[in-house]
Amino acid sequence: MSDAPRASAPEPGLFSSYAPLSGTWDELFEATSKLRPSLAGPLAALLTLRANELGRSQSLAERSLLNQGVTFSVYSDERGSEKIFPFCLVPRVVTAADWRHVERGLEQRIVALQHFLDDIYGDQKILASGKIPREVVLGAKHYLPQLRGVKPPQRVRIHISGIDLIRDPDGVFRVLEDNLRTPSGVSYVIENRQVTKRVLPTIFAEARVRRVDHYPARLAETLRRAAPEGVDDPLCVVLTPGPFNSAYFEHSFLARTMGLELVQGSDLVVEDDKVFLRTTRGLSRVHVVYRRIDDAFLDPEAFREDSLLGVPGIVRAWAKGNVTLANAPGNGVADDKAVCALVPDIIRYYLGEEPVLCDVSTLVCARDDDRRYVLEHLDQLVVKAVDEAGGYGMLMGPSSTAAERDEFRRRIEASPRSYVAQRRVELSTCPTWDGEREVLVPRRVDLRPYVLTSPDGPWVLPGGLTRVALREGSYVVNSSQGGGSKDTWVLQEET
Amino acid sequence: MIARVADHCFWLGRYLERAESSARHLQVTGVLALDGELPRDRVWPPIVIVSGQEADFVARFGRQKMADSEAVQRYLARDPHNPVSITRTVAAARENARSIREVVSLEVWQTINELYVFLGSSEAERMYEEDRDALFARIQRSTQLCLGLVRGTMLHDTPLDFIWLGVVLERMSQTARLLDVEHHALVAAGAPHPVLETALWLSLLRACSGFEAFMKRNRGKVTGAAVASFLSLEPRFPRSVRYCAGYARQRLAAICAEPAPKGEVRSPPGGVPGRLALERLEDLERWLDGLAPDSLCGAKVHEVLTHVVTEANRVCADVGSQLFGYGPPPSVQMASQ
Repeated sequence: MSDAPRASAPEPGLFSSYAPLSGTWDELFEATSKLRPSLAGPLAALLTLRANELGRSQSLAERSLLNQGVTFSVYSDERGSEKIFPFCLVPRVVTAADWRHVERGLEQRIVALQHFLDDIYGDQKILASGKIPREVVLGAKHYLPQLRGVKPPQRVRIHISGIDLIRDPDGVFRVLEDNLRTPSGVSYVIENRQVTKRVLPTIFAEARVRRVDHYPARLAETLRRAAPEGVDDPLCVVLTPGPFNSAYFEHSFLARTMGLELVQGSDLVVEDDKVFLRTTRGLSRVHVVYRRIDDAFLDPEAFREDSLLGVPGIVRAWAKGNVTLANAPGNGVADDKAVCALVPDIIRYYLGEEPVLCDVSTLVCARDDDRRYVLEHLDQLVVKAVDEAGGYGMLMGPSSTAAERDEFRRRIEASPRSYVAQRRVELSTCPTWDGEREVLVPRRVDLRPYVLTSPDGPWVLPGGLTRVALREGSYVVNSSQGGGSKDTWVLQEET
Repeated sequence: MIARVADHCFWLGRYLERAESSARHLQVTGVLALDGELPRDRVWPPIVIVSGQEADFVARFGRQKMADSEAVQRYLARDPHNPVSITRTVAAARENARSIREVVSLEVWQTINELYVFLGSSEAERMYEEDRDALFARIQRSTQLCLGLVRGTMLHDTPLDFIWLGVVLERMSQTARLLDVEHHALVAAGAPHPVLETALWLSLLRACSGFEAFMKRNRGKVTGAAVASFLSLEPRFPRSVRYCAGYARQRLAAICAEPAPKGEVRSPPGGVPGRLALERLEDLERWLDGLAPDSLCGAKVHEVLTHVVTEANRVCADVGSQLFGYGPPPSVQMASQ
């Protein structure tokens, strides 16, 4: 730790006047111009950076992302134009010790949720045990009772997941929500890393960061190993809703980096309960579909009849064991925001262990006591619709108007099962470049690590998507609502 | 190969070639106009006619505007409502590439995307106003770079065959239409001063990037029949109709020879898809080889080129229905194009 005194002494550089917010954990600094001691060594080079250097590097990075077409589409924008996902070069750093804890917690959580899904679409023992309220689970919007009894190939259901974590004022990581259906964002993790390496090579190298670029190879292996029994050389494809989907960049990125075909619903056809690809030479059998289409649109025969994106009959083919769908249909019951509040009990029930990762305590409006409390404290709570994502359908109590609160009161009373509430957690901050004023400012961040699960168990990518609320005072990190992203540096273990 | 992806590859090739060809034609015509020896109604209308957009242009701006250099150039280079303007063509190429990002290489994608981003920028508009020649040159360079990268950075495999099939079929049609329209304009207007006539033939050669190649073949003897025969029949010139037909036939033969996918496969009835288009191209090649080079003058030029354009359209329709899975083409409509 010989670097520490130098790093914590006042520096003339860019970081010399950076001041974290009080009552909030900062990812890099413990006090004004004082780096966290565990980061002083790895980040010594970062501290020497000057404002004009960072400004120049930042615009270089943005230019590079635009030219590469690393963009997303914004639905509310009528022209359907593409924007780059705003990117801040100042990294979010996680120490090796912190990461060990996160990794263990995520593995435990995914294993428990796999058991939970098998059970809910099987015997429903946990409901019979009375450990969790039956109506919250069976009332979940994305619970699909018609799938009960289906055993997916290789028994894997959550092949790919992204778990949203936040960090409270004491620096404790807490789970905010699970994404077990079609989590997106991993392509930005890899692209952000490439850009960072290009524009900050020395600073990056000195920090000794764990790599993330092997994710596509791991994902391809996970998909191959999930193929139906007896298939030696499976044909795997990535199924996208098409170029107008906001995450299309990512779908094509993953297909390209895995060397798989990117297909749309109309490219696939089901005959004799088997899935085929329409090629220039006829129909070719498909064994594994990494689908980035929601359950509701996946198969017009099984779910929404009006879906033009899906493949008629594909769920039947899956139920017969002729094709693997990753992720399995029906996972939405386990990442429902009300069910999320029950995960600690789910972990205890199936694994007989205490949860490694803390949750953000959640009030479930379907419970009478919780609802009464929520309605009386709307101005202090964050209320979320259980089936919305992307920061939509949310009430930020502390910054809301009386009219907005009345609106949510009406909605909660009309449909209590549809809402949950959480105390607003003071999300941690990370130094973030303000290009207009050319200074570093504290902005709130979350973290979405990604977990791949094969028949042997889960694997956590050492890194993840750090999303940052770029607007001052904002707690909303979603890209559709003024959020940006940062590279996440998980430091290597000391050797 | 996925049928939809093959379709995107084919159109990526066509749009890239079309953007390059339009930029070159505009650049060459702009240079021709500078000499001021030709009336404007001889310089600008042919380029609108070649684009296939005469009816749309006249409906929007009136017939007399076809002689207006500024109106014609803006319409063909930057008009957002003209589906074949360079801006729209590049956007279409880019949209096709974006739909198959996992098929084209990163270098190819970046080059198309950069050109697309550039054409939408204020820098491009400034360049259009202040240095149009440089703008058209830059568009040609970017599209040529892109096709070079297609060859240099992608697997030489079926997707590449479809891209090149699109490129050469588009090129064959462009050369045929350009020659047909310019030849007609020259002949219809009666023989101008011989110096001027030579200048017009040379300008046509430049619009097809064929000036130097023609000179090497003909040792400086510039006649209408020699130019028409060179652009139609020269087997070694990569933009001649004959060369394009032969290259398209080679690409299609490679596509038809692609081994069937391994694993469990269900083949369509009626033999190898694409066979029909391949036979049509073989016929066209033989027919072109049967033409005497010195027969290409007067009304015969129009007759030959009409046949070429019609056959190119039929090949595209066959490829669409057999390989991309479109419905059968409305044959009457195709024949009249």
